[in-house]
Amino acid sequence: MTKVEFTNLDKVLYPVANVTKAQVIQHYVRMAPRMLGILKNRPMVLTRFPDGVDKEGFYEKDMPLGTPSWVKTFRKHSESAGREINYIVCNNLDTLVWLANLAALELHMTLSKTDRFEKPDILVFDVDPEPPAGIDEVVKVALMLKEKLDGLDLKSYVKTSGKKGLHILVPIVSEYAFNQTREYVHQIGRHLASESGLVASEVSNPKKPGTVYIDYRQNSHGRTMVCPYSLRATPQATVSMPLDWTEVKKGLKPEAYTLSTVAKSESNPWKGMLENKQKLEKSVD
Amino acid sequence: MEEEESMEETNARIPKRPFWSGAVTIGLVNVPVKLYSMTFDKAFSFRFLHKQDGQPLKYQKVCVKDNAVVPWEDTVRGYEVSKNRFIVFQKEELDAARPQSSQKIRIDKFVDYLSIDPIYFERSYALAPDKSNEAYSLLLTSLQKTHKAGAGRITLRTKEYPILLHAYKGAMVLTTLRYAYEISDPSNLEELKGLKEPEKKELDLAVKIINDLSGEFDINEYEDTYEERIRKLIAKKLKGETIVAEKPVKEEAKELMAALQETLNQLKKQ
Repeated sequence: MTKVEFTNLDKVLYPVANVTKAQVIQHYVRMAPRMLGILKNRPMVLTRFPDGVDKEGFYEKDMPLGTPSWVKTFRKHSESAGREINYIVCNNLDTLVWLANLAALELHMTLSKTDRFEKPDILVFDVDPEPPAGIDEVVKVALMLKEKLDGLDLKSYVKTSGKKGLHILVPIVSEYAFNQTREYVHQIGRHLASESGLVASEVSNPKKPGTVYIDYRQNSHGRTMVCPYSLRATPQATVSMPLDWTEVKKGLKPEAYTLSTVAKSESNPWKGMLENKQKLEKSVD
Repeated sequence: MEEEESMEETNARIPKRPFWSGAVTIGLVNVPVKLYSMTFDKAFSFRFLHKQDGQPLKYQKVCVKDNAVVPWEDTVRGYEVSKNRFIVFQKEELDAARPQSSQKIRIDKFVDYLSIDPIYFERSYALAPDKSNEAYSLLLTSLQKTHKAGAGRITLRTKEYPILLHAYKGAMVLTTLRYAYEISDPSNLEELKGLKEPEKKELDLAVKIINDLSGEFDINEYEDTYEERIRKLIAKKLKGETIVAEKPVKEEAKELMAALQETLNQLKKQ
């Protein structure tokens, strides 16, 4: 059924939630039909926890030693690494299963595809609270953002980050450079900040307490975002879960989406997302 | 394909050529016969190949002292009398001691076939008439009629064997026997010393179970499953398919496998 030879299936990778590697692989197998279409031809960055989330993990941009020949890779110069990197590209179930077997718990993907690596096909708004602001404030800002995007005739899609925030995505035609998409996202953030004191659109250090920051910086060459349905390296094995906008309301509990609770979910709120290639025609102001 | 079909047959095929011909001699009577191999070890045998280029490997005799490859003509036989101490034999010496192949199957007497313990049976060969059908038919029919077997000896290659000549499925069959010294007496096993008599009640029950499970023996009820799997693998490989080693699924992987199957089905529909 798979080319992957499983190893250490009974190893516990989430000690608090008591989740084994077999369960992690099973999670990705179950989510695969909804994930693979989005992952297709997108270079990936892995966060691996071979000894479990309570032990040290590591980022892996370059393909791991022993990557089988049937795994697709994408060779690209990485500015941060200062050398050529062979990114993993996950185009099939076997690759996804192989990554899970490597204890690559968190899967991160680029916002552009290998054939047009300089031209993203996704805008992302990373909405994060700064305490004492929490998920309720994030929901408020996310709904403001959705309304704003609706006004720009842009259909948006939302998922939990798997941690404290939400990610809002807009699929677009792969025609704009990253500096254009980044500026567009930044502009919308600035606009919302001008309308509400709750919203922060700029990086500040320290962050202003009680605000919700709309991070635009992921819209950059080589940057990645956590994949939909990816596990996170949290003690509870939370999942970055795509939601229907109707679920984004007061009382939303992102921490409720965990490996065990999403196992039975079958809804696919992002269905057909990437086919909806939108143009950034309307100006923000 | 002819080769593949032959593998489907329940019985092994008789080879095309006899490997021995001579005569059964009973006193002054001669029955000319040919011998065909009849039993086969069907276990698949594989050649060793060089992993890198797939080429067949050959065996060479290598001297343990200097690792030099030793050609056939530079070898002699040694009998190990004690650890690493040998008596050396020249080829001629061994040849001189060999039994003469007389091309004869000498029958000394006739015995009740069923009285012979199968523990002695080694290999069976089919006998076919050579030129004279009448003599063969006469001997075969008289063996069938009397349910007897001829006991005697044959020299095959360099070894003399005790043999039985008996009727089997409309043919005469020669079965070579092991010598008495080739079979050990199991009652000498230490574990069997001082075996206790079973209780009558237990014995009655055991006998009842045996009687309940009694039936006709049919060898076709037994299948060589390993042979069958290898045969399928070979047929698959011949079609150019690659073989993926499938290890038995561990308990913790069973649910995982079920999920995999479900996802594969879903992906097919997409």
